[in-house]
Amino acid sequence: MTAAALRKTPSVKDEVGAEEWALRLDLAALYRLAAKHGMTDLTYTHFSARIPGDEDVFLLNPYGLRFDQVTASSLVKIDVDGNILLDNGHSVNAAGFTIHSAVHMARHDLKVAAHTHTPAGMAISALDEGVLPLTQQGMRFHNRTAYHGFEGPALDLDERERIIADFGTDKHTMILENHGIMVCAPSVRVCWSRLYTLEKSMQAQLLAMASGAPLRIPSEDACEQAAAHMEKGDEAPRNDGWESQLRLLDRADPTWKH
Amino acid sequence: MSVTAMNAPTQPGVREKVSDAEWQARVDLAALCRLTALEDMTDLAATHISARVPGEEDRFLISPHGLMYEEVTASNLVKVTMDGEKAMDSPFPVSPVGFTTHSAVLMARPDVNCVVHTHTAAGMAFSSVETELLPISQTSGYFYKHVGYHDWGGLGSNLDERERLARDLGPHRGLIMRNHGLLVAAPTIPAAWVMIYQLERICQTQLEAMAAAHAMGKQVKLMPPEVADKTVESMNRNFRNAAEGKTNFDWEAYLRMLDETDDSYRH
Repeated sequence: MTAAALRKTPSVKDEVGAEEWALRLDLAALYRLAAKHGMTDLTYTHFSARIPGDEDVFLLNPYGLRFDQVTASSLVKIDVDGNILLDNGHSVNAAGFTIHSAVHMARHDLKVAAHTHTPAGMAISALDEGVLPLTQQGMRFHNRTAYHGFEGPALDLDERERIIADFGTDKHTMILENHGIMVCAPSVRVCWSRLYTLEKSMQAQLLAMASGAPLRIPSEDACEQAAAHMEKGDEAPRNDGWESQLRLLDRADPTWKH
Repeated sequence: MSVTAMNAPTQPGVREKVSDAEWQARVDLAALCRLTALEDMTDLAATHISARVPGEEDRFLISPHGLMYEEVTASNLVKVTMDGEKAMDSPFPVSPVGFTTHSAVLMARPDVNCVVHTHTAAGMAFSSVETELLPISQTSGYFYKHVGYHDWGGLGSNLDERERLARDLGPHRGLIMRNHGLLVAAPTIPAAWVMIYQLERICQTQLEAMAAAHAMGKQVKLMPPEVADKTVESMNRNFRNAAEGKTNFDWEAYLRMLDETDDSYRH
């Protein structure tokens, strides 16, 4: 498939249900927002969203496209055994499939997963401290972040069991040590606000740690209280700027909706 | 080029309902929102900017909750009272937390007419380490000895927070909100732009200097106290000029830039 054809995937809007189409739009927007905010790594890293239903089926990005080329129709519909369920001419990245299928097999409460290789995320993943509740924004991840040791590129499907075990049942974010981060959420919009917030928090934490000055970390009780408060807010997100950001995406380049 | 292709939600007829002075404040405050976004000092829709309504001391305009600053216009700013009531019908929500912070400063400080709060990476980092704003650059003179420190008091829109904020800001023009971010309290909207721009750079600069000094096993170099005082005194002129209504060339230059790229904030 040529590069131009890759970007111009025929619309699948009429081939999928309204619910799946809405999910495709949201997930395509997530790719575009991450691109806008500099969270990309060439054509690597992946965001996924579970399609509502009994089966473990999810949408993943078409391998070989930049995030700013992803469209609603180009997202690949795939089950956790790796079967592509709607042929739109695209395939997926094997390592991305391993990590994301692990989440969708085990954590049905977390419908959306976003994995990045930003410099801040990779740096935090290479530090013993992990994510600290140093800033109000960083507290959102306090007691809600799991850690998974690096095993080399995730090409072995056996790693799924270890990702699932490390993730546990109550965390929503995972530091992939010596690799990057993965943020999950019950919806695309919450996944985006968590991803953005974690990225900013990690940048702040790195600057703070590098300064050499002692860190001022609030008490465990205060941090947990803040985390719980923000988690409560994520149950019914509003005024988080999501609709506003979609309008801004449209102004700049509406092709994500194709 | 005039770019007015906006699809942002707005409220028709506001211009006709408000005084010329209020409309000018609305245009300026919307411009300040756009500039803050252009300089990458936003945190999605989590922070707010406010300005007192000219001639109505107990009312202020605040950025609408849930809109990115790129969508803020003169018409969609929300006018509220110090009790948190909307002073004019508006379809846009007001953030309770944002209201608490901004009303606290505007109530406590009659000399302050514009308040900007940010959650930038450098601002959050600076606020979270054991340090104070040091006289290490000419630029630090904008805020050296003129900044307060506010301990983090948890999340929420607790109105007790207003008293603590007012106390910690005191007579200062800047506030380091611990484990949280930055705030500037300015006599005018144009002055607020210069202040938040510079406080951000001051934090970035000091963090970089501290990191480099720490890595080399050294301390950052402070200017001699008499030079620091002279610098502060010189920089203070900017704020006196602003309070006296003199032309702010920085603001004029930035407004020209905005108008050449996207003047939709004026609507």
